[in-house]
Amino acid sequence: MWLVRPVGPEDLNDVLALAESREVHVSSTLPASQDLLVARLALARNSFLNADRSGSHRFLFALEDTDTGRLKGVAGIDARAGNGQPFYNYRRDALIHASHELGVSRRVDVLYPSHALTDLSQLCSFVIATGLADGDAIELLSRARVLFIADHRESFTSELIAELPGAQSADGAVPFWDSLGRHFFDMDFATADHYSATHSKTFIAELMPHNPIYVSLLSEAAREAVGQCHRLSGPTCDLLKREGLAATDYVDIFDGGPVLKAHTNRLRTLVTSHCVELHGEESNQGDLCLIAGGQGENFRCTLAPVSTSLQGAARVRPGVWQTLGLSPGDPVRIAAL
Amino acid sequence: MLIFRPVEMRDLDDLVTMAGSAGKGLTTLPASAELLAARINEARDSFEQRNAPEAGLFLFALEDTEANRCVGISGIQARVGLDEVFYNYRLSLSVNASRELGIHVRTPTLHLTNDMTDTTEIGSLLLDRGWRGGGNGLLLSRSRFLFLACFRRCFSGKVFAEMRGVSDGRGRSPLWDALGSKFFDMDFAEADYRSVAGNRSFIAELMPKYPIYLPMLPEAARAVVGRVHQQTEPALKMLQSEGFNFNGLVDIFDGGPVVEAFVHNIRTVRDTVKKDVLISRKPMVEEPRGSPVMICNASFRDFRVTRIPANWLRYDVVRLPPEVAQALLVESGDQVRLAPLKEGAVLPTDNNEAGHY
Repeated sequence: MWLVRPVGPEDLNDVLALAESREVHVSSTLPASQDLLVARLALARNSFLNADRSGSHRFLFALEDTDTGRLKGVAGIDARAGNGQPFYNYRRDALIHASHELGVSRRVDVLYPSHALTDLSQLCSFVIATGLADGDAIELLSRARVLFIADHRESFTSELIAELPGAQSADGAVPFWDSLGRHFFDMDFATADHYSATHSKTFIAELMPHNPIYVSLLSEAAREAVGQCHRLSGPTCDLLKREGLAATDYVDIFDGGPVLKAHTNRLRTLVTSHCVELHGEESNQGDLCLIAGGQGENFRCTLAPVSTSLQGAARVRPGVWQTLGLSPGDPVRIAAL
Repeated sequence: MLIFRPVEMRDLDDLVTMAGSAGKGLTTLPASAELLAARINEARDSFEQRNAPEAGLFLFALEDTEANRCVGISGIQARVGLDEVFYNYRLSLSVNASRELGIHVRTPTLHLTNDMTDTTEIGSLLLDRGWRGGGNGLLLSRSRFLFLACFRRCFSGKVFAEMRGVSDGRGRSPLWDALGSKFFDMDFAEADYRSVAGNRSFIAELMPKYPIYLPMLPEAARAVVGRVHQQTEPALKMLQSEGFNFNGLVDIFDGGPVVEAFVHNIRTVRDTVKKDVLISRKPMVEEPRGSPVMICNASFRDFRVTRIPANWLRYDVVRLPPEVAQALLVESGDQVRLAPLKEGAVLPTDNNEAGHY
């Protein structure tokens, strides 16, 4: 059975293994370094314990296979993008350079440095074990976060963003970085990404170009990479789009990956979910649903067949309550898979 | 005899022929009879003071009196950027450093500026192939500085020249290909021509306004920023020996450098001396000796320059044969200015050097 639950310091080794095994860089929000992860997991634990108070919480959820007890994925929510520091993006905008005299008009794409998304809630740190990229598990991991948001709505902002990893060529090169960031940071992408995870954002403020960038002066590969997600992030991107997040004019400053955005109250899982009372049933009837319950550190979400009644009761097998750590009569939130 | 004088409409045919054979890149002298005629009219208005002096365009012809034709042209624009916007890129440096990471990155950056607005520009220099060499180019270029020395109040305290940038045999500019062409739907030659034709407003409308970070341009383009065309190197050397220096600005199209000097520091202006004319009634029997000297009259409208041998100079006068005096439109007792034609040369200052009369 798949279970999504808060990550804690005791998950260190499993999370580290996942972070190291990933094929796609995760924009540095899940560092593959033991020391950094220890701090990150402690922060996650603390965030769950204080989830009822608003602040720069950084929640981290684990996808656990309850049969083996192994972690198969991690996903996060930052309550405030930037976590108290500026959150950097480029905003793609257009200028029309037109000459009345010559009768010509040309659209010029420009990337403007922006902090506009700072402090918006952000879905982040998504990583899932190889082989689970299409199926119920990835959907559970991604959407469980929205059920958490629904149950802790006051901790999150009215708009929600998600950054997706940008384009990377087969040999690992990041064309957007090579054509832009490299000139100013004087380091390769991996190093910059590492510093971004391990240092304050001061170095970005110090090294990043302050003036807008003309897209036409980027290399062809970099131009194509603007707003394109990594080829392995397709399933994640599709899930987010089905959730109601849509592409924006914002892209990542390092790899040009897209930033998606949605109104939190219009997230599909949030809108279509129901609060019901948990009841037991011995049979495996009903539609497969996401079923979530518990506050803060006790939040759990799993997938199970649920038969609902008109009186607002959800009937599931007793094994499901136990997995969720709940008892009959407890309130839960369910959403169709 | 070569005489440097204000351009006249009768020079038009010679100029059209010269400009046509000059090739691309001579940005301030269009090879079009119509445009050239308009320039000549503007210059005539300036010399005859129908224009405000600060709006003046002063074009000079180099006339070969034996061949009876115009063999060269050079010009001074009293102020640029008055009724149009005058653009350059300033080649400046942005430094980004992170003490924490021990990183220090220097990024050469091009900033669009109008810094030369209200400044005097020298340009439009072209000498017929058949007359190149023998100091004729120096005469055509440096005579302008005598005009500046005589009528300083008409010009700004600083003078500049835009030097032709690097382009290949087909007129392709690496900087244009990497930068300008991304914003203008035209090739370098056409943009250059339109710019010369006086319709420069399209530049303001189409140019990128934000700074350009040079490392984002290809190596070939970066290499030509601030560099002159091979054929322009002698002109650059000549201006450098007059005291002109690169001022950090480059042409927005081909990256050619702008060189500038304060008028009072220009060598020809500094070295200029005044003497009175004495027209020699007797034939001048002495062999011409010494480094050639430029000599000019003091007339704004009928300015004239030619060169004479150094041994015509005396302690306080300069002896001129009647035909030279006539060409310079001077009479005995008129004051003239003199300056050495070549750098390193000095004017004779005493009787011993110049001989007796």
